[in-house]
Amino acid sequence: MAKVLLAVHVLAAILVVGPVAVATSLFPRAVSSGGGRVTGEATGQQVETAGLLHRICRGYAAVGVVVPVFGIATGAQLGVLGDPWLLVSLLLTVAAGALLGVRILPAQRGLLGAAGERASTAVAARVRTLVLATGVFNLLWAVVVVLMIVRPGSTTGA
Amino acid sequence: MRLLRIAAGTEAVTLLVLLLNLATVHAPGVAAVVGPVHGAAYLTAIVAVLLHDGAPWAARWWAALPGVGGLVAIRLLRPASASPP
Repeated sequence: MAKVLLAVHVLAAILVVGPVAVATSLFPRAVSSGGGRVTGEATGQQVETAGLLHRICRGYAAVGVVVPVFGIATGAQLGVLGDPWLLVSLLLTVAAGALLGVRILPAQRGLLGAAGERASTAVAARVRTLVLATGVFNLLWAVVVVLMIVRPGSTTGA
Repeated sequence: MRLLRIAAGTEAVTLLVLLLNLATVHAPGVAAVVGPVHGAAYLTAIVAVLLHDGAPWAARWWAALPGVGGLVAIRLLRPASASPP
């Protein structure tokens, strides 16, 4: 039974977290003008794209709870719930979820609202903050994946 | 909204399956698989309501009710004009 749960857990991690990672990374560029310059000026099509990316982030974020839920279920079946690598992974997952829900998604919505405004240093600063939060968000997932593979301190095999 | 409908439906049906299983055959395999499905649907419904633009606080609180919370939240999120008399 643990294999079924683990399969759902891994599949969800790839198909749900993957799109969020990509969409959050692309959003700051879509919402600001091209040429690598970070400003508040964006064309109508860019704003449309940014809106779609925001909806992807929001929709997949809700389905994303499948990943930790099935992860915990798998861990319970295998009897490894108390292992430090799993507890640390869970903490980092909670941190990533909180970062997405409390910082990234509200910041995205705010920038979508400001997309029609003229370029300003204030908007540019908000985009930079979002880029930073997005980078940390994706880094957290990278650390969790490594923990899932290396499982430091685990005695249940390779 | 479509996501919330799917999550709320799954939440209600899986809880029913779990309770039926508990009352009848009590197969551990069923609980092991349907349990996490129910948990995930329950949490998805809550998050979907939280991320819903302009969701009233009542809907947010109701979503946390296990089993039928998602379905109640859908009713509360529906615009007043579309609700049946």
